[in-house]
Amino acid sequence: MKRYFKIYWTCMRSAFLAAIAYRMDFIVSSIITLVGNVLFPLVTLLIYRSGASFPGWTLYEVLLIQSVFTMSGGLANLIFGGVLWTTMSHIREGSFEVILLKPLNPLFFIVATTFSPDSIGVLVGGIALFLFSVAHVDAIPLLSWLPFAALFAAGTAVMAGITLMMAAMSFKWVGNSRISELADSVLHFGKYPLPIFPKSIQAVMTLVIPVGMVGFLPASALLGRVEATDFAAVLPCFLFMAAGAWIYRHMIRLYEGVGG
Amino acid sequence: MSGFKHQWRVFKTVADVTYKEWGAYRTHSMVSIIVGPVYFVVQYFIWTAVYGDQSSLQGIELSQMIRYFGATALIGYLIMDFADWNLSMLVRTGKFLTFHLRPIHHRSFALFQKVGHRLLGFLFEFLPCLLIFIFIFGVDMRPASYLWSFLSVALAFLMNFYVNYTIGLTSFWLVQSSGIRSAFILVAGIFSGALIPLDFFPQWLQILQFFLPFQYIVYMPAMVFTGQYSLGGIQLAMEQVVGLQAVAVLITFGMNELVRRRAMKQFTAVGA
Repeated sequence: MKRYFKIYWTCMRSAFLAAIAYRMDFIVSSIITLVGNVLFPLVTLLIYRSGASFPGWTLYEVLLIQSVFTMSGGLANLIFGGVLWTTMSHIREGSFEVILLKPLNPLFFIVATTFSPDSIGVLVGGIALFLFSVAHVDAIPLLSWLPFAALFAAGTAVMAGITLMMAAMSFKWVGNSRISELADSVLHFGKYPLPIFPKSIQAVMTLVIPVGMVGFLPASALLGRVEATDFAAVLPCFLFMAAGAWIYRHMIRLYEGVGG
Repeated sequence: MSGFKHQWRVFKTVADVTYKEWGAYRTHSMVSIIVGPVYFVVQYFIWTAVYGDQSSLQGIELSQMIRYFGATALIGYLIMDFADWNLSMLVRTGKFLTFHLRPIHHRSFALFQKVGHRLLGFLFEFLPCLLIFIFIFGVDMRPASYLWSFLSVALAFLMNFYVNYTIGLTSFWLVQSSGIRSAFILVAGIFSGALIPLDFFPQWLQILQFFLPFQYIVYMPAMVFTGQYSLGGIQLAMEQVVGLQAVAVLITFGMNELVRRRAMKQFTAVGA
């Protein structure tokens, strides 16, 4: 275990050093990402500014959902964000053997070597928006932070699971740089209050592809809108991540190389 | 006349080759058949919830809003472009040098490539999504005027290309221009009208859009499609909108040419 931590730490350090090789680009990219995430709820702001609203939700409550979603996405991207592109690139170039030859679990190796400092902007932007939203909603009881933490971890697991599934897909759909768009489109459901969607979509987004867990349920926990039964939705989230890891490892077994 | 004929032959060949090249990866384009309708469904439910009992918001009725988002999705497939990424890659890898040796202007080459690439987009993204919107979602996707809509989309196509190409030219100074590209994508995403009609922005921001390139890429063609254009309190007839768009394209082309000339003086290469 200690060895894995040491490897991960070394990879993280290398990723930061690589990022600052083109430091101007890194700084600009990080600022843009940060600003982009602060601006992401602009649509919501403009909707509320026009006098309309999502029924039953105040502006800051919706912003809270979106900030939790952004934080979760930022964290998952930081850790797993590079897995898709690196896998895709190795598969396209036929060099995945290089990873299989390493004396390390291939999935861990890819996750460690693709630590993405670029995503720090997303995380920081999400945290800024989160603090802003929390300051504007009704006082949050101290006890609500515990279920929030559990549901937030579950939501981040969903994001990780989606990334792994997309990366696994790239083993068969070789070189398709648009695979991530599939995930992005589905994740769109998680950025808004789940009750605005029909019951059937809500069920799918909670139990099958649980993106509703990413922003909606953790934010609801803070707002005191969750019931005990809602916590049952945590299980599908971790199962979803486990499924992502399992499918990825299964696809590794199906990989056919030509010598790297 | 022979010069024009020659250009036409080059255009046809480059577009044809690009079509065939990307045709090998047509299933990549077909991702849009899933992504486009999913985004549309999300927009549909968001706006249905937001409208609630209200018949109109910012002067736009719900049905018009749905048509607007259908149009922005479809127009996006027709004008999609990554000339900025491509040019940036050529500069960074030094491959741009090979274009100096070819008897064709790189910008023309890139534009012809885009035509071929979007022809593929028309067949494998635009048409399937159009059919899904009409027959599965039951959205009325008939443009208010076929002629003006066609012209407006054609101008948006050029506008998008020239703006992106200009962004790509920054690589001659920055080498790695992904930061600038991300910045532009971010701002364009907001102000092009793809996320929300520009009518929802404050008045001063709406007026500012006349002097920025973004609304000419998505908002204008989408509004020409719906047959109603108004921004910043200014209402324009369709022929006026298209005329304004043409002027904006000419100005952008001029600016692109200026930046390109300066960029060429920056270019250094050691073989590719």
